[in-house]
Amino acid sequence: MDGRVSLDRVAMRFGDFTAIQPTSLEIQSGEFFSFLGPSGCGKTTLLNIISGFLTPSEGKVSIGGEEMIRVPVNRRPTAMIFQNLALFPLMSVYDNIEFGLEVRGVDRSARRRKADELLELVALGGSGHKPVSELSGGQKQRIAIARALAVEPRVLLLDEPLSALDLKLRQHMRTELKAIQRQTGITFIYITHDQGEALTMSDRVAVMSAGRIEQIADPMTLYRDPATAFVAGFVGENNRLAGHVTAADGELVTLDAGLAVAVSGRARQPLAVGDSASLYVRPEQWRVGTPDDLRLPFSGIVQAEHFEGAWLTLEVALDSGPTLRVQVPHVVTGDGVDAQLRVGGSCRLDYSPREAVVLPGAEPSPEAGEVADVAATA
Amino acid sequence: MWQQLHNRFGLPLTMAIVGLLGVWLILMVLLPQWQMIDYSFHPSLLPSERGGEKDVWTLANYVTFFHNDIHLAIFFKTIWSSVLVTALTLVVSYPLAYYLAKVATPGQAALCLLLLIVPFWINEILRTFAWYIIFAFRGPLNELLFALGLIDRPIRFLNGDTGVLVGMVYAYILFMVFPLYNAIESLDGNQIRAARDLGAGWLRTHRRIVIPHAKPGIATGCIMTFMLAAGSYAVPALLGSPGSRWFTQIIYNWFFEGGDWNQGAAYAFLLLALCILFVTLVMRIFKVGLGDIAK
Amino acid sequence: MTSSRFFSWALKAYLAIFFVYLFLPLIIMAAATFNDSRFPTVTPWSGTTLKWFSALWADSGMWSSLTNSLLVAAGVLCLAVPIGVASALFLTTVEGRGKSFIYTLILSPLLTPGVIIGISSLIFWRGWGLNGGILLTVIAQSAFIAAYVMLMVTARLQRFDRTLERAALDLGATQWQMFRRVLLPYLKPAILSAAVLAFLQSLENYNTTLFVAGYDTTLTIYIASKVRTGLTPAVNALALLMILFTVGLAMIYEIKRRREANVARQRIGPA
Repeated sequence: MDGRVSLDRVAMRFGDFTAIQPTSLEIQSGEFFSFLGPSGCGKTTLLNIISGFLTPSEGKVSIGGEEMIRVPVNRRPTAMIFQNLALFPLMSVYDNIEFGLEVRGVDRSARRRKADELLELVALGGSGHKPVSELSGGQKQRIAIARALAVEPRVLLLDEPLSALDLKLRQHMRTELKAIQRQTGITFIYITHDQGEALTMSDRVAVMSAGRIEQIADPMTLYRDPATAFVAGFVGENNRLAGHVTAADGELVTLDAGLAVAVSGRARQPLAVGDSASLYVRPEQWRVGTPDDLRLPFSGIVQAEHFEGAWLTLEVALDSGPTLRVQVPHVVTGDGVDAQLRVGGSCRLDYSPREAVVLPGAEPSPEAGEVADVAATA
Repeated sequence: MWQQLHNRFGLPLTMAIVGLLGVWLILMVLLPQWQMIDYSFHPSLLPSERGGEKDVWTLANYVTFFHNDIHLAIFFKTIWSSVLVTALTLVVSYPLAYYLAKVATPGQAALCLLLLIVPFWINEILRTFAWYIIFAFRGPLNELLFALGLIDRPIRFLNGDTGVLVGMVYAYILFMVFPLYNAIESLDGNQIRAARDLGAGWLRTHRRIVIPHAKPGIATGCIMTFMLAAGSYAVPALLGSPGSRWFTQIIYNWFFEGGDWNQGAAYAFLLLALCILFVTLVMRIFKVGLGDIAK
Repeated sequence: MTSSRFFSWALKAYLAIFFVYLFLPLIIMAAATFNDSRFPTVTPWSGTTLKWFSALWADSGMWSSLTNSLLVAAGVLCLAVPIGVASALFLTTVEGRGKSFIYTLILSPLLTPGVIIGISSLIFWRGWGLNGGILLTVIAQSAFIAAYVMLMVTARLQRFDRTLERAALDLGATQWQMFRRVLLPYLKPAILSAAVLAFLQSLENYNTTLFVAGYDTTLTIYIASKVRTGLTPAVNALALLMILFTVGLAMIYEIKRRREANVARQRIGPA
């Protein structure tokens, strides 16, 4: 079963509005692939193009090597899990799961066998005769999965299916979805604005913004090596220090960010001296020490403390102005660094340049809301 | 439009939908109305004369109407009486609609609505017939008034317009209560409480808060009631007398007693024009659209 | 607040008077059935009898007009319900220019006096060789009853979750299968209610039918002619039976509706 999906210069326009910029990409058969982005970035439009609900303004879509543009929704080898699940409310669980087989003319006993098999797979064996309205939120979720799998799709499309569930159930369903994907070997294409979902389940993630794919990578690369300012800001938390390049030594680039010391980090693309650029350092990459620890080059004052269980998040105002978000592990015994940090007290900081990323441009990405924007005013 | 339907329903269903809608609107609404209007501008002819030289476009049928003082009088009487019926129905229905929407508990309201609907599941003829019995010369109303000593001789209720008015208010009250109820029900109860709290009396609260909010409902109720009253045949036929004829009865006579369908079509068109005029006028005055009426 | 108390007292008194006004005529009409008098009245009461029921039973005119009425009502169901459903589907699907014009056309039969609908149908269809009778009555009545059906079906259709349609197509259903298995079952309660309403509207219609019935007298026309000529309490017996029939139908409908509402509530409860 070939579940490759390929988009070839697919673009979508609604009147003057461009929902999808020309986009090409290849999704491997059996891959768990996610589209991650804020609402309105075009990820749902892309899903609708793959499923056949929308015809792209230009470009080609193929699944398993077969051209799909002229194939209507009900003939495509895809199945969708809808955001609100869209279970048929007037039908029983069996009728829901068997619907896709029934409309294909599969006979009753074969349908029932398949439905029972799928109910076992989603751990709801024996509940086939229940009306859908009697199921809990998590059970409905599983039935929706079973219903979609019943038609043996080559590609399963999931449109933020977990967003209606509460936190615990959501986390549990992540594990379960991943397990089902491994077991069935079907290509999963998953749409979400929740980076936790995308990072934990996916083999690869495409981060989208304003109708464009910013980066396609495995979760680890996405987090450690963001390709654009948007990705750096959108995926995880980040501190941004803006300035201009003073030295470039191969991959390692040094910036003047208006601080007492120059800062440096890895650049993904060549930068020349004098280019404006920004350095991104994750909150957990900062090493924090007491004020007398002069091995650490930066110094600042703790402005606020947020206790988050395993972590303590600090807002530290550097002496030269900008404020950083810094995470330190919380040590219960009371003799760690965190025990000596007090709001209003000072501290010293450092980070490893190998864990920092330099990207071109001194301006923040307008849509990446999560960036703790600490651009130097110098 | 075709494309939108086709996208959603596919070819066979779209053809069925458009076909049914077309049959309805074209063959059952538009063309018959058009034919009626066309008829009204032609003279009444024998079948053999149709299409001949006598078959010309003429205003003669309308001239007949404007030269007939009795028919003119009945036309204006019908308008005036229908307006009166509409006003009376509004006055009678308003307190009830207000009670149902804002005073009654949900249980009480549900019961009242059911009680209201039951008489209206029974047909108009029978509802009118019931009043015929009450109003009869030796009927229970005269007996009651006599027993109370209010009259010393029975009154002929069925001779004037009284019977027709009472019967019509009774027959069409539901068409007023329901739109009013729907409109008042959507008013936030806190607005009434706020007005009261700010010192407005009951009358002022209704005049300034409830009635302005209920405007679309009032408009809908008035339009329906007027249309039903002006177009009523059963009530004046049963509760009226030859002296209190309704315009619909004149139309009927042209068709089935005078045998002049063209003349009847002209009269029917006048009635239709009157109703269209009233609907437009009310919608203009109350500033409501057709969408508000269809609820 | 004395004025408030006065108004609430006045409102209650008004309600009492109103419901007396609503029901007394029907009660008097029903009571007159049992009066042993040649004319339908309750004053004077000349003895209690059931003979008017047997007089009604023996009235062949009543039976043939009842048959005609039922035939017409059945015809109206077959014509007005599909038309009403089709126009509801049309109105909830299309957007854009021309829609408001069609919407006005669809609503216009509701705002046209019944006699006009009767007259225009009579004139138009005579040109096609169709004269007054059962068939023409079905056509004329359906012209406005379809609009009532449309209103009731549209109300439910507007609450339909369109993703269910998309889900059905996505699972491989054709548009027809989607309609048949998803949309139609959802609309069923509204269509049934509309059918009951259409049936009753057809049975009780007088103004339109008067012009198009020809020699096929329907029940309402029969009653009206009885009231004007040859009035006996047999008409009251018929009225009483019709009241019982409609009240019975209303009660079955109401009980069924409440039971469904209860079932729905219980299902939501434990989930």
